[in-house]
Amino acid sequence: MDALGPRFERFLAAVEPDRAGRVIACEAITGGYSRISARALVRWGGGAEETFILRGDPPPGSGVFTSDRDAEWDLLTALPGATSIATPAARWYDRSGEYLGSKAIVMDCAAAVSLQDEMARAADAGPLADLFVDTFAHVHQTPLDLLPARMPRPPDGPAYLDGVLAGYDRMAGEYPSSAPVLRYVSWWARAHQPPPVPLALVHGDCQPSNVLVGPAGPPLVIDWEFGHIGDPREDLGYYTQIPLQPNVYWADPERFLGRYRAATGLTEEQVNPRVVDYFLIIGMAALLEQLLVAAAAIGAAERPGILAPYLINAISHQHDMFLAICDRLS
Amino acid sequence: MPIVITRPTTDALIEDCCRELMEGILPGLTDETLKLRLIMTETVLRNAAVRAAHEIAWMREETTALLGYAGRVAERHGSEALRAALAEAEAGPPDSLHLADVADRYERAGQAFTAALVAAQEAGDAAMVAQARELLRDRIATEKEVMATYEVVGR
Repeated sequence: MDALGPRFERFLAAVEPDRAGRVIACEAITGGYSRISARALVRWGGGAEETFILRGDPPPGSGVFTSDRDAEWDLLTALPGATSIATPAARWYDRSGEYLGSKAIVMDCAAAVSLQDEMARAADAGPLADLFVDTFAHVHQTPLDLLPARMPRPPDGPAYLDGVLAGYDRMAGEYPSSAPVLRYVSWWARAHQPPPVPLALVHGDCQPSNVLVGPAGPPLVIDWEFGHIGDPREDLGYYTQIPLQPNVYWADPERFLGRYRAATGLTEEQVNPRVVDYFLIIGMAALLEQLLVAAAAIGAAERPGILAPYLINAISHQHDMFLAICDRLS
Repeated sequence: MPIVITRPTTDALIEDCCRELMEGILPGLTDETLKLRLIMTETVLRNAAVRAAHEIAWMREETTALLGYAGRVAERHGSEALRAALAEAEAGPPDSLHLADVADRYERAGQAFTAALVAAQEAGDAAMVAQARELLRDRIATEKEVMATYEVVGR
């Protein structure tokens, strides 16, 4: 048990003072590029045991991907009242980082495994692909008026797209190394906007690794840190670039999108492989900006850690993907 | 008398460090987080080796191409922003082969190219936009050469 265990125990004493919680084990969870995660086993005074996931910010100035923990907590606690999509119960929040060293959310640890792992083990991933599609179609139908009031709400789909493309122009102005590609792509994307769809809750990291499945009960959707109100097709486009195998979109795009259309009521004009290709550009905007920010910080006094130089390749990869999309769809 | 030790070259030195990390150090690590960080570090070094071997030549070649494009667009659709970017790009010591100077000039050439691309786009000059796309294709080919062995780890 590393130093986090005793700190978590003090936190439990503060949030559950009558339950005499003791941290029996606490271990870091490797994987994931953004938050620091740990799994902790707690024995309460009455003898019952529970396992929790602690999900906190990396130390200031380190890491590449940043997100707002307060916003994530607000979203996690609003979702049960807004949608029947299941998420692991969000139990407590160290809002100041006073106890856990940084702002950290404590959630139930589900007795479940990653849908990505299940797909990799399955002889036929088709039914699991359907489950994945249905799950995110359901996410995208969440009533927006039940989401936290502080979530930014664009006026409509076209205005949202305009904002994302303006963001690319802003990035081009700030990061000269990427400017040629970003100017080319944003100009192209303005001229090739797909038909609009209603705004929706977008997960922001749509992949089967963020869906947990157990022997019983509904799938659980995790990692909401990039959740926002935007165009639901961003999630579809984003998933197309996930390299973990199997990628069930590429296994059968028509089946994937046909099922998504049936579940959402969107038309083939609004959702088809070309539109999904386009939305890779839109769905990657926020992450690309964070990669560029991190790359610019390499060599500075507060270095962002090895992930930043490692992910410079991801910037090159995105340049390549974006230009290939422009070529394919022109 | 040589002023630097020419062999091994910088890329060979870095590649030797990569071998040391992967064959000499990684097997002795038990902490999964440290293993991951070491693998990422080795990837960065391997990419740096490719860059060390070629980046000055790559940047100089592309600088010439970028400025050529910007000049051609300026002849057709000269804007104040493009002329200023071109003048800026031509400033500085053009013959210096020191990496920082080459990188500075390359970056300014990129800004002139971007200004030219915007001018071509705004003018609706499809032929010049297509030429820009070809130059970007070359740039991506170089970036892919650097990242040839890139694999996503740790997800």
